[in-house]
Amino acid sequence: MAKPRPSVVKRSIYSWILGRNTNLQLVVLVLIAITVFARVLPLEMQKRIVNEAIRLRQVDLLVRYCAIYLASVITASGLKYLITVLQVMISQRTLARMRKGLFAHIISLPLNFFRNTQPGLVVSSLISELTLPANFVGMAIAAPVINLLTLVAFAVYLFFLNPWLAALSLSIYPIVVFLVPLLQKRVNQANKKRVDATRSLSDKIQETISGIHEVHGNAAYDIENRKFGGIVDRLYRIRLRWDFFRASVKVSNNFFTSLGPFLVFILGGYLTIQGQLELGALVAFLSAQEKLYDPWKELIEFYQVYQDGNVTYTKTMRYFDSQPEHALAPSDRAPYRLEGHVEVKDLAFVTGDGIRLLDRISLELKPGEHMALVGFSGSGKSTLAQCIGQLYAYTDGQALFGNAEVRDLTKKDMALNMGFVAQAPFIFDGTIEDNLLYSCQAARDVSDGASEAPEPSLEDMIQVLHQTGLFVDTLRFGLNAMLDAERDHALVEQLVRVRKNFRQQFGKTLADYVEFFEEDRYLYHSSVAANLLFGTSKRKEFSGPALAANRDFIAFLEKADLKRPLMELGADLARQTVDILGNLPPDKVFFEQSPIAPEELEDFKPLAQQTRRHKLHQLTPEERYKLLELALRFIPGRHKMVSFPELLERLILEGRALFKEQIHKDHPDAFAFYDEGDYIFSQTIQNNIFFGKTKTTRPKAQDTIVQSIIQLLIEEDLLETIVGIGMQFQVGSKGDKLSGGQRQKLAIARVFLKSPHLLIMDEATSALDNNSQARIQNFLGTRLKGRTTVIAVVHRLDIISDYDKVAVMKAGKLIEIGSYDDLMAQKGVLYGLIHGKK
Amino acid sequence: MDSSMEKNKSDASCEFQQNLEILRQIELFAGLPMETLKVFAYLCRRESYTAEDFVFREDDDDGQAVYIISGQLFLIHETDDGEETLRTYQPGDFIGGLSLLASGRRLFSLKAGKDTECMVMTREKFAKAIAQFPELVPRIFRSVVDSIRRWDQHLLFAMTEKGLSLEGMTGISAL
Repeated sequence: MAKPRPSVVKRSIYSWILGRNTNLQLVVLVLIAITVFARVLPLEMQKRIVNEAIRLRQVDLLVRYCAIYLASVITASGLKYLITVLQVMISQRTLARMRKGLFAHIISLPLNFFRNTQPGLVVSSLISELTLPANFVGMAIAAPVINLLTLVAFAVYLFFLNPWLAALSLSIYPIVVFLVPLLQKRVNQANKKRVDATRSLSDKIQETISGIHEVHGNAAYDIENRKFGGIVDRLYRIRLRWDFFRASVKVSNNFFTSLGPFLVFILGGYLTIQGQLELGALVAFLSAQEKLYDPWKELIEFYQVYQDGNVTYTKTMRYFDSQPEHALAPSDRAPYRLEGHVEVKDLAFVTGDGIRLLDRISLELKPGEHMALVGFSGSGKSTLAQCIGQLYAYTDGQALFGNAEVRDLTKKDMALNMGFVAQAPFIFDGTIEDNLLYSCQAARDVSDGASEAPEPSLEDMIQVLHQTGLFVDTLRFGLNAMLDAERDHALVEQLVRVRKNFRQQFGKTLADYVEFFEEDRYLYHSSVAANLLFGTSKRKEFSGPALAANRDFIAFLEKADLKRPLMELGADLARQTVDILGNLPPDKVFFEQSPIAPEELEDFKPLAQQTRRHKLHQLTPEERYKLLELALRFIPGRHKMVSFPELLERLILEGRALFKEQIHKDHPDAFAFYDEGDYIFSQTIQNNIFFGKTKTTRPKAQDTIVQSIIQLLIEEDLLETIVGIGMQFQVGSKGDKLSGGQRQKLAIARVFLKSPHLLIMDEATSALDNNSQARIQNFLGTRLKGRTTVIAVVHRLDIISDYDKVAVMKAGKLIEIGSYDDLMAQKGVLYGLIHGKK
Repeated sequence: MDSSMEKNKSDASCEFQQNLEILRQIELFAGLPMETLKVFAYLCRRESYTAEDFVFREDDDDGQAVYIISGQLFLIHETDDGEETLRTYQPGDFIGGLSLLASGRRLFSLKAGKDTECMVMTREKFAKAIAQFPELVPRIFRSVVDSIRRWDQHLLFAMTEKGLSLEGMTGISAL
């Protein structure tokens, strides 16, 4: 395989200095040459001003020299700025390239690598560790050249002024040059340790956070604090040492260079007193010498950055210096199209420490054949599937896929022809649709634009949603979406029409499950605010938290005799909620039935205390506002920690009518009251179809509701539209807004959508309920049989009778293979497994 | 622990308070401290079923436990020949405590005999809550072990009484 460039981890830090930065670096060099000249010129002018202009009392000379002085100072500063900008550009460009290169390399590394590598380490490597090396690359040409040149220029100038003095004052520098590397060596040692300790620290954090359930479960806070504390202390000591030596490099450098003027004063002063040196020359000499410090200091700093950067770079790159087990893409041909023929001969997989996970396995599958892999956990069935799927590189024997050796195929060849569903599939942040298209998109990228597979259509996607049983879930997401008045104009009108038919057809069936928006009934599954307003506000001051601060609204509450009773309710809610949830973590499970959000809880704690100690009228306006605002959120059907007095309920119903009258009079355009003929944009699609809200979370009832809606949507030809909206549901980071079953179904769906020739499923249905599992099994058996080769690692033995072949594994060996019926008739190991004999 | 049982002067019977009272009667929860019980009481929900509604069915892994407030539930085994009723539960009975502790598929179905109201706790909520009070886990285990032993004892007694063979039937507490 021809490799155009060495892998990023093999590159030395120096290789980044030129390369694609060559042009910028050349520009820097030119600028430096001019800058150095512009830096030396003022010295000469200084001397001439004192010696010629002042001594000869010639104002025109003074003006001319000063002008030149000023011009060169401006030029030098301007150019220095330009050089710095270029330096930053180079280092940021390099940082970006290093990051991209290293990231691409890291994600291509074999799965094995990540067994021992915590994500935290990758994060810190990519984010913080590469900054120092990149800084070095930015400085690599500019810093040494400009400072060395300046130094040499000043030194020459000093010799030109007075060779003896020059030699004396420069005699200090060799000492520094000798001393600094000695100290720097210690700095480097400390830095290496620092990188290691930082790594352990990020590993530790990662470990604790991923295992937070265990920590809580065992109240192992002290253990974790001790472990973490130990590493932090070690890092503290190392950092202290690192900074101590770094500082000592700086200080000793400063000390020795400060000795320079001392020497010049002694010798130069003596020579001037003796009349052997002009005063102007001494002044020029002193200031020239003064100017030596800056470049020298910068050189030393550069030296430090170079050393630190080099150490960090080498440590980082060396850590990731493993090679991918398979080439990513073919370089000299198009990716193969492989038939679903699988043949495994004497396959073995031995780990680095000599453990034989797979032992001489041989089997063959014709295109379209289905095989179930069964066995105890640890028998190697997953490993076998992963070796055939190229996720692990087998160490011996052969695995042929479409007559090509899996080991020699590139990742792209595999991805184009095979679908793999992992046991714990990963769902990415984005919409359902994004995740559905993930495999297809990747496969299309593979085909290099010449996509043989067209982009899947909405119908294709809906089809796989059906096949995997994700359809109803997606429909639910759609039904729970809100519509936009502008964008969804047409749909809204349709939905309002649907509402009437819905009432006619299902009103009775669902009466037990749905609370309809009726003007003279209290809505127990809506908030107090919703009950009072009974509509959607078109103005900000009449919605959300602003409502409780709205003067008109407060005046209305007083008129309706509601202000104090509501505040009382708020106080009760605050006390009870704080009492129950006060010490619990901000988990969704705990706060689902709470009127107070987890982030507000701390605010409400002192308030709850206040309401115990004081009467309502003794509270501050701010406190009373908070209580009122809380009461307005109260939903009796959900917030069960307080009782809802009947009197208050009646007052609120009265208030609803009063509010409507009042608002019609005062702000006729501020509200859209719930009306059977209007769409309510502040409510979900489902609530709009119902013109009400569901009362229950019982699965059975939900099923009835969804079935009714589906029937209705089919009649109205809206089903696809709503599912389309559901596919825009954001699944959250790692898909955490989906249930385990939904994630697994989505992972299967995205592979089905790709329709590969070989489908490998590694306990892919383990998190599914019986129905969903049966549905997928049925799809495999009826639609894919004879078309797609399937290898399924199976945990539950009651679903394997549909497979053409069953392979039984034990301790890395294949001990039985054959058709289900044959194996059962043999009464061998499979028979024993199924009948519970071990 | 503060004034804990919030004096709810206006009405002592909000759902949360009722749940709290119920939990104190269920063996699995009875001995737990008030602070913990409140969290459980808060997390419980009410569900109502009409006759023939299933609370759960064989092979489901529904992960819930129910306490009957009113009505009647039947534990049934569905066979090819029809249904066999194994037990009848009345108000005050608590069913499915084990499924709060670990996942597993149901061996039986639970069906409403008439309009029934239940208090329901789910495994997810139970697990999240108990994780907050890890020191209580041993107590929970204790009460599970106790009830298994009592069950075994009961079976032993009942079968000896009827003169039935015990072989292979009891001994679950010796697991």
